[in-house]
Amino acid sequence: MLNTARWLVFAIATLAMNFPVIVTLVTSLKSASELSINPGLWISQPTVENYLRVLTHTDRFNIYSYLFNSTIASLIGTSLAILLAFPAAYAIARSEAGKRTLLPVIINLRAVPLIIFAIPLYMMYQWLGLLDTRLGLGLILTIVNTPLALVIMVNAISDVPLELDEAAKVDGASSWQVMLMIIRPVVRPALVTTFIFGFITAWNEFLFGLMLTTSQAVPMTVGASFFFAASGGGVQWGTASAVMMLGALPPAVLGLVMYRQISGSMTAGAVKG
Amino acid sequence: MAIVKRAEGRAYLAPLVAFLLLFLGFPALVNLIYSVSTVSFENLRSPSLSGLGNYASVLADREFWQAVSFSMRFGILTALAECLIGLFLAIFLAPLLAKRSFLMAPLMLPLMVAPAMIGLMYRLVLHEFAGPVPYYLFLWFGDSPAFLDINNAFRTLIVVETLQWTPFAFLLFYMAYVAIPVDVREAAELDGAPWFKILWWIELPLMLPTLVIAFFIRFIDGFRVFDNVYALTGSGAGGSTTSLSIYIYQAFFKEGAIGKAVAASVMLFVASLAVLYGLNWLAGRRRR
Repeated sequence: MLNTARWLVFAIATLAMNFPVIVTLVTSLKSASELSINPGLWISQPTVENYLRVLTHTDRFNIYSYLFNSTIASLIGTSLAILLAFPAAYAIARSEAGKRTLLPVIINLRAVPLIIFAIPLYMMYQWLGLLDTRLGLGLILTIVNTPLALVIMVNAISDVPLELDEAAKVDGASSWQVMLMIIRPVVRPALVTTFIFGFITAWNEFLFGLMLTTSQAVPMTVGASFFFAASGGGVQWGTASAVMMLGALPPAVLGLVMYRQISGSMTAGAVKG
Repeated sequence: MAIVKRAEGRAYLAPLVAFLLLFLGFPALVNLIYSVSTVSFENLRSPSLSGLGNYASVLADREFWQAVSFSMRFGILTALAECLIGLFLAIFLAPLLAKRSFLMAPLMLPLMVAPAMIGLMYRLVLHEFAGPVPYYLFLWFGDSPAFLDINNAFRTLIVVETLQWTPFAFLLFYMAYVAIPVDVREAAELDGAPWFKILWWIELPLMLPTLVIAFFIRFIDGFRVFDNVYALTGSGAGGSTTSLSIYIYQAFFKEGAIGKAVAASVMLFVASLAVLYGLNWLAGRRRR
């Protein structure tokens, strides 16, 4: 009896929280003629014509370019964050440097609204010629990803027994070699998790994509909103839905495959920070 | 034996510090200078100092206070709703999830979708002709409210934000709940304590730190909300859905009022630092 109630609550919660995704999926599979008469949740004649149109008619809005921009910018934003944070995390975990001052400042950074820095960054990008470039967007995404990357890696490296480092040191390894050849393989799972979670976060970022790109480097989140700009005759709901499904697919697939690891990293800053 | 010498440690930190100084330190400095200057797109590199005029004009702006009030109410209400529902789900569904952890995946899916994308999706969900929600409301009740007009937009946005981020609170609470040692619970059950007493006197106090942290994380995220609100209503509905982030964005990009936008940024910065350090101070006192 109580168990039935639990299943019921689970079903309702899952449906309610995923409702917009479900509606968008259903709409993306309806033909234009069915859309105009049937806004409900069933489909009488499922079709993939919306997806075909999005993927083949790319003269006005090119979804490949949005997907490509998001991929490159997210890869830069994730890789660079790890490259910068990994040595820093090693130093923080294995020496006193940065533990008192730098770590708290960077953890708090997660809670500072980044819009605060947006206007000077916009001007800075204008001078540097980084506006509307994938590199420029990637650099900002690095900032977005750094705090959590650092926290996860400090936690992971702190969990590695010190004896491992010491043994290598006795054998004459430098701390640089210890970091790259002893620590890096041991914390590999944490690095992978950081990478996946950072990639999802970067892919889903919107504010800086909106401000810093206009045409060449527009990411998927911003590009999807272009399909909603009234273009004579209102929004093409089937097309827009297909675009949203394709744009949401990469992070959703990554997240569903890796949900165990991600739940750990999502709460890392909250539980241990 | 120190594994990493102090000087070496500094060298490992240097790239990260340099990067942060360039991308956050320098902008923060520019913010401070511009906020006390007369500045426009024509004299970006040679702003002339003008005192606190920008701050005065922001503080006198009715829309600024509207935005502050929106962000504040939005942050508190969504954080409360997310924590309450999340706590209920975590405790009520825990027996279900203990043996079937794959059930977590669909519950976590909303966290993987971009908030901006969710905002766009709700344009469809709530659309008066194409959206299923108004369609079914008309079908079953003969009427449907205008979800995004000036009277309802705020409530609609609260629901949208809550439905997407409740899983986050749920996740934190679930992990804290299953981390409670089994023998604590068994000892209480052995003493014949009913479940609600165990919950109130043992489990909730043990989860209290997580409850507080989850509330503040969600409050801060709600307070600085931009993506889903902007994608769903813009600042629409008569400016009634302008969050502080949207206010700053629009002052800069729509009005070109750089001084105003920057002064508002600095105030938001100072306010968030004050809150953060207040919290850290509280946490430090508790530990002692």
